[in-house]
Amino acid sequence: MDETALITSAQQGDLNAFNTLVLHYQDAVFNTAVRILGDEDMAQDASQDAFISAFQSIRSFRGGSFKAWLLRTVTNACLDELRRQKRRPTTPLEPETSDGEEIDSPKWLADKSMTPAQKAEADELEHAIQHCLDALPAEFRTAVVLADVQGMDYTEVAAASKVPIGTIKSRIARARLRLRECLRSFEELIPSSFRLNEENA
Amino acid sequence: MMKNFHEIENLSAYLDGQLASSESAKLESRLKADPELASALRDLRAARGILRQLPARKAPRNFTLTRQMVGLKPPLPRSYPLIRFATVFAAFLFLCSFTTNALTPMLSFGFGAGAPAPAAGMGGGCEGCEGSQVQEFAATEAPATEEAFAAEMAPAATEAPAATEEPAAADTAPSSSTAESPEILPTEIARVTEPTPSLKEPEQEPSAVTPAPETANQPGADSEPPALSIDWTMLFLGISILGIISLWVMKLTARNKWR
Repeated sequence: MDETALITSAQQGDLNAFNTLVLHYQDAVFNTAVRILGDEDMAQDASQDAFISAFQSIRSFRGGSFKAWLLRTVTNACLDELRRQKRRPTTPLEPETSDGEEIDSPKWLADKSMTPAQKAEADELEHAIQHCLDALPAEFRTAVVLADVQGMDYTEVAAASKVPIGTIKSRIARARLRLRECLRSFEELIPSSFRLNEENA
Repeated sequence: MMKNFHEIENLSAYLDGQLASSESAKLESRLKADPELASALRDLRAARGILRQLPARKAPRNFTLTRQMVGLKPPLPRSYPLIRFATVFAAFLFLCSFTTNALTPMLSFGFGAGAPAPAAGMGGGCEGCEGSQVQEFAATEAPATEEAFAAEMAPAATEAPAATEEPAAADTAPSSSTAESPEILPTEIARVTEPTPSLKEPEQEPSAVTPAPETANQPGADSEPPALSIDWTMLFLGISILGIISLWVMKLTARNKWR
């Protein structure tokens, strides 16, 4: 895929060229949206809005990482959605167990070859991590998702969030601290394969 | 993890390789000497590692865009703007010409509105006027009369000569009856033989005059030409309609081609 040529064509109004880029980056965009928003349906809406917005403003793209530019667009769409949610709080309609625990739908699994036990384990862990992510302030969550989930460097995260690098550095550190504290209560869910505390050993 | 937050920030940045090399070297030497700082680094690394282990969600559907989503319109032929301009211009000209033609009789009515009263007085004062004079007056009145009035008077048109032949007799007819029903006017005129007082003359004048428009009404109406020829109006209308149809067909064709 010649990304530069596709971007140039898209800038001239070629929707097919843009759709090729969409197909290439839609997983990364959706993944970012679902981690920031913590809701699949909202993430789909935000992703679609982000791609529409990206096509309409693609002429403003001046080079650099197209992925980072797209992720900035989806981050803005997610933050807009979170602001809307704040103005109009809603009750989630997620199914709950008799104990009041949300039942997570295991639709999305990274590895379909996992055994049911592994799937359940991964589901629980993912649920726990997402729970801790959702507990973070939106700015911290956005920073840590872009840096740790999407692997962007501080400069790209700063550009996506439209804040100075120093602020991003602080947000990421705070987010990691809070996440670590939150995940302590789910220590039993973290399987050995996910434990990265080899330094502790 | 009781370290001050500035140290935690530096640890986090160090973890991501975002610290300057000199600062990194300083931090590394401190990490060797400070187990608490090293523990904080492990906590941060663990948090980052767990986040990185999060399974990547795949898009549940394609987010490809359609033309409708982004508001793209089918490319129209180059002649489209020209035809659109011509259509709008023709429609404008049609409206102007139509309005002008419609307003012309009304304007002439407005200018002649004061004329009937003095004209009637003048006509009434002219005892024994010749038929031609009456017809001349009627001709001037014709444009001002409404179509309904003309239609109402039409049946009496054949009787008009009688009225014009006996102007003196018409003077004696009651004004009310003559004004209300021109059809019975000739019979009344025939019955009246005696000359009437001159005071009644102005009131009776319309009765003597009213039959006359029937004789002169048609020529009078025809003599008022429209301000702009009807042919031009129809031409502008035709161009407008043709233009609208052409634009519609061009849009439809472009849309079908685009699909």
